[in-house]
Amino acid sequence: MKVDWTKYLLALVITVAIFYTAYYVASRIDANRIADIRTTQQNISIDLLSTQTQFELLGSLDCQAIKENPILSDQLNSIADRLSYAETNLGKDNVEVIQLKKQYSLLEIKDYLLMEQISQKCKTKTVSILYFYSNNGDCASCARSAEVLTYLRQTYPDLRVYSFDYNLDLSALKTLISLRKVDGPFPAIIINNRAPIYGFRNLEEMQALIPELKGLATSTKAN
Amino acid sequence: MLHLRAMNIGTAGVYFCLFLALYFEVFLLVSFLGKKPSKKTSKLPSHYPTVSMVVPCFNESRTLASTINSLLSMDYPKDKLGIIVIDDGSTDNTREIGEEFARREPQVSFFHKENGGKYTALNFAIAHSTADLVGCLDADSFAERDALIEVIKRFEEDEKIMAIVPVMKVHNPRTPLELMQMAEYTFGIFVKKMFDNLGAISVLPGPFSLYRRKVFGIVGPFKHAHNTEDMEIAFRIQQHGLKIVNAHTAFVYTTVPATVRTLVKQRTRWTQGFLQNSQDYWFMFGNPKFGNFGVFVLPFGMAMFFAALYLTAYMLYQFVSSTVLSILNILTTGIVPQLSLPRFDWFYFDTSTTTFVIAITLALTMISLWIGRHIAKSTFGLPAVLSYILLYGLIAPFWLAQALVGTVLARESSWR
Repeated sequence: MKVDWTKYLLALVITVAIFYTAYYVASRIDANRIADIRTTQQNISIDLLSTQTQFELLGSLDCQAIKENPILSDQLNSIADRLSYAETNLGKDNVEVIQLKKQYSLLEIKDYLLMEQISQKCKTKTVSILYFYSNNGDCASCARSAEVLTYLRQTYPDLRVYSFDYNLDLSALKTLISLRKVDGPFPAIIINNRAPIYGFRNLEEMQALIPELKGLATSTKAN
Repeated sequence: MLHLRAMNIGTAGVYFCLFLALYFEVFLLVSFLGKKPSKKTSKLPSHYPTVSMVVPCFNESRTLASTINSLLSMDYPKDKLGIIVIDDGSTDNTREIGEEFARREPQVSFFHKENGGKYTALNFAIAHSTADLVGCLDADSFAERDALIEVIKRFEEDEKIMAIVPVMKVHNPRTPLELMQMAEYTFGIFVKKMFDNLGAISVLPGPFSLYRRKVFGIVGPFKHAHNTEDMEIAFRIQQHGLKIVNAHTAFVYTTVPATVRTLVKQRTRWTQGFLQNSQDYWFMFGNPKFGNFGVFVLPFGMAMFFAALYLTAYMLYQFVSSTVLSILNILTTGIVPQLSLPRFDWFYFDTSTTTFVIAITLALTMISLWIGRHIAKSTFGLPAVLSYILLYGLIAPFWLAQALVGTVLARESSWR
C-alpha cells in the first residue's frame, strides 16, 4: 500500500500551471479589451478635437454634413456598451476601468457641449439626456433605468444619451453636476437641460417625459 | 453589497470545484503516462483453475437464458467451469428457465431460495462452491468468449491478486440515454484502469468480477452493505491490504437502464451506497495506511460528489435569479425583449479564467474518453459524446440529491 507522493505533487504543479495559464490568457485578453476601448476613445477624441477646431476656425460648420453624418453618436454608444461589459467583468474598482470611465465621461461632456453649439448654429432639434447613476450599492433601480434609456437610444438613433457615474472622481464631471444641481436620490436624468428628474421611470413614463421624441426618426426596431 | 459578497464566495466555490475536477483528471493522466495499459496477447494461461460463475437472479426471465448461454459458450475447459444459478425468490418464470438449463447442461447447477437480497444469493453460491475462483455475472450481462481466459491470465501474474474486475461495456446502446451511459462507461473504463495503476479499485461490479475463493475466508462473506455489496467488498479487500486489479482485455456487456426514472433509481442506489459505505469506512479516508485508496480515491470520490452538488446548486441559483430578474425587469420597465441574433464580436466572448479552465477540463475528459475507447476497442462517435455532454449534467444532479437525502434520512435505497 505505497503512496507515491511525487505523483500527487506533480499533478498539483500541473494543475496550478494550467490554472495560472488560464488566468494569464484571460488577463491578456482583458488587457486587449482595455486597449481596444482606449484606441476607440483616442479616435473619438481626435474626431471631437477636429470638429471643435474646425468650428473654432470657421465659426460655423457644414450643417448639411452634420445632419447626414451625426457626430460620434454610434462610436460613443459602442464604447458605452464595451465599457459596461468591461466594468461587469473586471469590476467597478478596477484601475483601468476607472481611467477609461473618466476618459469616456470627458468625451461625453465634450460631445454634449459641441452638440449644444452645433444645435444652435445649425438650428437642429436635438434631444439629449444626461443620465446620472451610482454603482455604490445605493441605486437598486439604476440598472433598470439604464435598460430603458438603452432601449430609447436604440429606438431613436438621434437621441443622445450621456451616462455618468455620479461618484467618479473627475473635476469636469463634478462641475457639470454642480451646474445642473444634481444630488440624489439616483437615478437622475436631465432632459434637454430641464430640471433634474429623480427616481426610476418605466418606458411609458419616460416617453411621456420626453415629448420631443415624437419629432425624432425611429429605427426599424421601433413599434 | 451583501449580494456581491455572496456572489464572490459563490464564484470562489466554483473555482475550488473546478480545481478539484482538474486535479483529478491530471492525476489520472499522470498515472496513465506512468504505466500504459498493455496490449492483448494470444498467450494462454499456464493452467486452468476451477471456476464457479454465480448468476444471482431475481425476476430475470427476460435475459437469464442469454446470460447462461454466454457462460456456456466461454472459451474455457468445460470440466473446470461450473455455473451456479441462484434464484433469489423470483416471482416470474426465472425458476423454470434455471431448472431447464440445470436439467440440460451438466455445467449448470440451479438453486432456488427465499428472497433475501443479492448478497445472500452470492453467499449461498460461495457456500456451495469448491472452485478455486468464484465469479459473479449479473443476469442482465454477457461476457465475451475469451473474457474468462483473460481474467485467469491476470490472476496468474500475481498470487496476491484477490479479485479482478473486467472492462464493462454497454450492450447494444441505441437511445440518447443509452449512448450517454455508453460514453460514461467508457470514461469509467479509463478511470478503472488508472485506479488499477494506483492499486485503488473501489468497486467490484456484478458483471463478471472474479475472486479467489479464499479471499472470503480472509475478509468474510458479502454483506447487505446498503444494497451495494459489490462496493463494500472492495472496501473490505482494500482494508485488508489485498490486491484488486483490472483485466482490461476482458470484455463484458451489460444492459443499462432505458428510462431516466430507472437510471436515476439505479444511480441513487450506487451513490447512496458510496456515501453510506464511506460512513462505515470513515477511518480509511485520507489514511496513507490504505495507500492511494485512502489518500486519493475515497477523499476525491466524496469531494467530487459535493462539488457536483455545489455546482448544480450554483447554476440553478444563477438561472433562477436571472430568470426572476428578467421577469421583474419586463414588468417594471415595460420593455419586452425582442429576439435577435447573438452578436459575434470577439469583445463580448466569455474569455474568463473559468471558461478556459472548463474548456481544459472538458478537453482532458475527451482525452480520457478517447483512451477508454481505445482500451475497450469501442467504436462510438459523436452522438455518444454529445449525449454525454448534453444529458449527463442534467440528469446526474437528481441522483446525487436523492442519494444525499437518502443518506441524511438513513433511508434505504431501492433496487428497482
